[in-house]
Amino acid sequence: MTLKLEDLRHDASGCIRCSNCKFTEHIWMQSARFGRQCPISTRYAFNLYSAPGLMHSALGIMDKKLEFTPKLLDALFKCTLCGACDVRCKRNLDPEILSVIEVLKAKAVEVGKGPMPEHRVVTENIEKRNNRYGSPYDNRLKWLTDDIKPAAKADILYFVGCVASYAHNEIAQATARILMRINTDFMVSQDEWCCGYLLYSTGQVDSFSRQAEHNIEMLKKSGAKIVLVSCAEGYKTWKVDYPKVLGKSTDDMDLKVVHIVEYIDQLVKDDALRFKNSIPMKVTYHDPCNLGRLSEPWYHWEGTYKRYGVPEPPKTFRRDGHAGVYESPRDILKAIPGIELIEMERARDNAWCCGAGAGVELAFPDFALWAASERLEEAKATGAEAIVTCCPTCKEVLHKAAQSRREKIKVYDITEIILEAIS
Amino acid sequence: MSISREAYEALQSIVGSEWVSDDPAICIADTKGGYATGIVDINAVPPACSIQPGSAEEVQQIVKVANRYKLPYVPTSTFFTGMCAPSVENVIMMDLKRMAKFEINDKDLYAIIEPGISFSMLQAELFRRGLFTFVPTCGAHASVLANHIHCGDAPLAWRMGLGYRRILATEWVLPDGEMLKLGSRAYLKDYFWGEGPGPDLRALLRGNEGHEGGLGTVTKIAVKIFPFIPEKLEPQGVSPRTTLKLPESRMKWYNIAFPTREKAVDFMYEMGRCEIALMVSTIPPLFRYVARSRGLGASTFWEKWTRFGETANKDAMDVRVLIFGWTSEKQLAYEERVLMDVIADFDGVARPAPPFDESNFMSADAVCSWFIGGRFLSEVYFESLDCGLHTERGIREISRKRTPPLADTWDTPMLWAGYEFAHLGKQEYLNYADESELDALRVHEQDCREMDLKIGAYAIMEDTRMFGKAWYNYNQKMQELKNIFDPNNLSNPPKPLERPLHEKKS
Amino acid sequence: MGIKEDLIGVVGPESVSDSQERLRLYAKDHSLSSPCMPGYVVQPGTVGEIQQIIKLANESKISIVPCSSGIHFNGNTIPSQVGVILDLRRMSKIQNIDVRNRTARIEPGVTWSQLQKELEKHDLMALNPLFPHPLKSVLGSHLEREPMLIPKFEYGDPILNVEVILPNGDLFRSGSTCVTGFPDKSAADGVNPQGPGIDWVRLFQGAQGTMGVVTWAIVKTEIKPKVNKTFFISFDDIEQAIEPIYRVQKRMIGSECLLLNNLNLAAILTEKWPEDFETLRKVLPPWTLILVLAGGWRRPEERIEYEEDALCEIAVELSIPSLPTSLGGLPGVERKIPEMLRNAWPKDKTYWKFGYKGSCQDLFPHTVLARAPEFTKIIGEVAARHGYPMDDIGFYVQPLERARACHYECNFYYNPDDTKAVDRIRNLFVEAAETLVKMGAFFPRPYGPVANMVYDRATSYTTALKKVKGWLDPNNIMSPGRLCF
Repeated sequence: MTLKLEDLRHDASGCIRCSNCKFTEHIWMQSARFGRQCPISTRYAFNLYSAPGLMHSALGIMDKKLEFTPKLLDALFKCTLCGACDVRCKRNLDPEILSVIEVLKAKAVEVGKGPMPEHRVVTENIEKRNNRYGSPYDNRLKWLTDDIKPAAKADILYFVGCVASYAHNEIAQATARILMRINTDFMVSQDEWCCGYLLYSTGQVDSFSRQAEHNIEMLKKSGAKIVLVSCAEGYKTWKVDYPKVLGKSTDDMDLKVVHIVEYIDQLVKDDALRFKNSIPMKVTYHDPCNLGRLSEPWYHWEGTYKRYGVPEPPKTFRRDGHAGVYESPRDILKAIPGIELIEMERARDNAWCCGAGAGVELAFPDFALWAASERLEEAKATGAEAIVTCCPTCKEVLHKAAQSRREKIKVYDITEIILEAIS
Repeated sequence: MSISREAYEALQSIVGSEWVSDDPAICIADTKGGYATGIVDINAVPPACSIQPGSAEEVQQIVKVANRYKLPYVPTSTFFTGMCAPSVENVIMMDLKRMAKFEINDKDLYAIIEPGISFSMLQAELFRRGLFTFVPTCGAHASVLANHIHCGDAPLAWRMGLGYRRILATEWVLPDGEMLKLGSRAYLKDYFWGEGPGPDLRALLRGNEGHEGGLGTVTKIAVKIFPFIPEKLEPQGVSPRTTLKLPESRMKWYNIAFPTREKAVDFMYEMGRCEIALMVSTIPPLFRYVARSRGLGASTFWEKWTRFGETANKDAMDVRVLIFGWTSEKQLAYEERVLMDVIADFDGVARPAPPFDESNFMSADAVCSWFIGGRFLSEVYFESLDCGLHTERGIREISRKRTPPLADTWDTPMLWAGYEFAHLGKQEYLNYADESELDALRVHEQDCREMDLKIGAYAIMEDTRMFGKAWYNYNQKMQELKNIFDPNNLSNPPKPLERPLHEKKS
Repeated sequence: MGIKEDLIGVVGPESVSDSQERLRLYAKDHSLSSPCMPGYVVQPGTVGEIQQIIKLANESKISIVPCSSGIHFNGNTIPSQVGVILDLRRMSKIQNIDVRNRTARIEPGVTWSQLQKELEKHDLMALNPLFPHPLKSVLGSHLEREPMLIPKFEYGDPILNVEVILPNGDLFRSGSTCVTGFPDKSAADGVNPQGPGIDWVRLFQGAQGTMGVVTWAIVKTEIKPKVNKTFFISFDDIEQAIEPIYRVQKRMIGSECLLLNNLNLAAILTEKWPEDFETLRKVLPPWTLILVLAGGWRRPEERIEYEEDALCEIAVELSIPSLPTSLGGLPGVERKIPEMLRNAWPKDKTYWKFGYKGSCQDLFPHTVLARAPEFTKIIGEVAARHGYPMDDIGFYVQPLERARACHYECNFYYNPDDTKAVDRIRNLFVEAAETLVKMGAFFPRPYGPVANMVYDRATSYTTALKKVKGWLDPNNIMSPGRLCF
């Protein structure tokens, strides 16, 4: 990774404690109940458990006035890197809040204080078996059923990801069947490694780089130009974190990352796909952070800041969450006969994080369950029968929350809905 | 830890170990930041611990522990300003964010609020009920309670006035740990009235900027809320380009250009006499350029602002007016006719503006003042609009002298607003300096205070050391008051006495 | 030298008196408070004289009771011990009318009619309470926080700033009037009441002279409407009036808005006592909501028009059968009422509270509007226990600040020369006050026996208030025995 904590001093100093980072965008806030944005701030209330607190901690670490204390590690590694603080901040200001938090995690790892023990288990699993679960690597393609026939060569490589490969095969299968139904050739790789999302998001940058280098090489060897994913974490990792760690911009990478919803949405808009089957159901859509706020292309920048913080060279970009993948899944759902889409209060760039991101569910399952339960409450308030999302991790934790609370509301990945609509 | 184990355990026994911590990272996060950071908090000292009470009773117990062990404490909620920064050793930082209950009385138009409720939350709830409040210029996520007892300056308060006009019954933990109840809460369970009984002790709650925790901790307050129109304001867009679409049958914006400040001020007075509109406020060119750069980055701002300076009209002042059909659509039509009459009479040139709002109903995000980078310090005056003409002349002179290193504002008008139908005005002059040159802001501030003494102006940045003697020795009186209510000097010392901005400890 | 000589040394012999005849004027008032003779009455003419008197009082530990009106109704200027009455009526200048900022700077002796007459020349009016007595001081009314008639302004306290002599004799000015050179050489116009340090001006309001002597005040004035349309909306009982008032206020309709029962309205409109009064009392509806739609500074008729349209909508919503703009049998009253409401009671007419029986004892808590009917019922029950007919009680309900609350006033009329009647009223008053306190009525202005009822219950407030009093008036010379002091 090219970024060091000291590179982000200007950004960490830019916090003005306006508290925008803790709340839903005020223009869109509809109630006090669902007016909060940052899970750690909402749950723990101490200022440390928030972007301003972490910014001040970062400055303290940089100035050697602070070490990685137990509470700092707790706050830092409970942060799901949902990006809400970053996007809220950028309504008015410019600091790269999220980068500071990411790099602070990396610093914690660098000095031997992080990640959490539960994350190290995953690291070992990935190192030994190239998947987060530690399951046999050979089982990675076991999700392939007889009816699913990937092509030997195609422009599209379907990068399945660990969760769909090992735990939620239904998502991989649905994705594959969708592609087959719409006559789209795709490959899967025998050489797919864990994308490394959990490594990067827990500050283990060196280990992550290894995954990145391998998978990029794997893609190159395959001849595919498009990486298709059905996982939001994978999407963001390929699109944003791989170029980041290589010191490049997304546009400089010789590949294109597409989520299945983008692909399907384009076909629907081109009138190349119609949903024949009706699915009479009231649904609400949960925006995965990694597909929504965090999915804008990465821009590599190196420079300094002049007076008043004016960057030199100028930054020709602004990653503020406005161009996330928000509409494609919605347009798909609206195009399916019978589906009634009801929005939650916190939608699009305002979405409340499911709580599972950045390895939080592994290390702090109670906290993650609490966050997911919050989202479930919000979904229930819409009167929807089901939550639909585009991320296996989101689906998993929301489903767990529903089960633990014995809620009737169902949780689907959008691929399952799409498949049913076109079968 | 710098407080005794015994004291710490006493605190733990009140809130439970989950809600108190002396972890250094927790304490660093409670040390500095917010408005005027780098200026008012340069001598900030990390607190000894941070504690989060969940109720007023817990606040009382904490204050009693503080008294027992002679530990200073600072009540805070959002830490919005650098004035929250602890300035002495061994502070217990009392973070009131957990206290976040609220209750709305639609009929009798008040809301009962705890410290952890933000304006954004309250406004969202009020809009659902056909009511509203005035979001202050500091931003929608400021604490409702803290803002009402601090300043409460809101652009939409053209008719209603500042925060002090909107406080009803109050509950307040004094520095000795006893609970003081003001207004109807003095002996009733109700919160509907703020005065009395007898002399009004809300007097002690505020001043120009409140005592910032120097005379205790307010734990609950009833604030006035206001009827709204049945039509909804529609949120649109994705951040950062979000906006509220205003119902055109009930609201309309006008931007009105005046050739001089004097004409604009005359216009504002006349608008007060006419008793129309919901907002009458100027548009500083600086804010206009910030708005144009939103979503594009601060570099864009500086580029455009520098170019603007080459042709800036120093004399012209634009006023932005929101006319409002509060009673009915017919009122909107009436207000528009009256507005046109007034504009014509005062040589204004009006341009209707699009029916959207980013900054006033749900936001009032003066946080965009930070957008251009560096740090800023505001010179704020609440006095008559005419007084503003005097102070502005003086400040322009000072700014010209001190630029550079201050950022050039091209001598253009800053933020003016009217309150209570122009019975009161506000002028806010934002001065910017790079982070490496914050001394320039201190010097500017000092110059302004000297000017105030000379011309008889009344800035809200009271400084008891500078003004005490000139202003009827009020500094002595404040010290006496502090001695009476906080004899141990534990409640955010030395508040309500000032920590002068321009004093740096070596 | 004795006190009298000391006082003469300050103000001159014409302005000091200890004659029994003179002192009796200050020993009692129109309330039921027990009389108490002061020792002296002194009439200073300048701020410096007041300061000297206060300093003398501190040295001699003699009490000072300031007053500025020529008539009093609540007992707050009757001394509780032999001391000095500081009659401020010699200081009766309107020091300044600031037309642009719509304020007036007035001395204590300025009366309502005096001020309104001057303000009218500038198309302005002060915000008076309901028909103040012609001898009533404007400053006194505002310091006592008498309610304004116009709920549309979101402030209830038109006082901006004050100059005050503190109980130690120090001069102090509140808010932005504290700046050097005020008023003639300062940039500030004295319109910011906040600070310095604390909101001083709030301490002197409702204080009944216990916190200092106000020597001038800057008060808000508003545009005096030139065009008005007055409605007299009648109701058979008070309950029916409540929802219309809420809706009218929430839709921002109207200027003056007040609810009176037939007895009070009859007392106000009577020209000839007692014939007119008895007739009016019978023909007027049980309750009348007086609502004045006031024309704006510009296009006045157009403002009235849209407000009237909205009022009609409310009438339809609530099935109010009619919106009369006159009172039957009283031609022209709709034109007279706005002017009457914006002025003091005329000097040449019997004061409306004295016409019926000679005097009246007022009880006036604040409550929320919705409770007014409940309170009215209870008052009737208490009155009945004392053999006092409900029909003889005047009621006046004043919505405050868009009907966020109301000033709820009961007027118990009685003959002051009838000792039995006086006793009955005294007992009735005490029981009524106690009952209302227990029911949740709030008395922000506690006079006489009500003060004890309130302060005995408001323990934390009382403690804090005593600390403030102890701070400002360590010798307790200012109006001792008032409030909780």
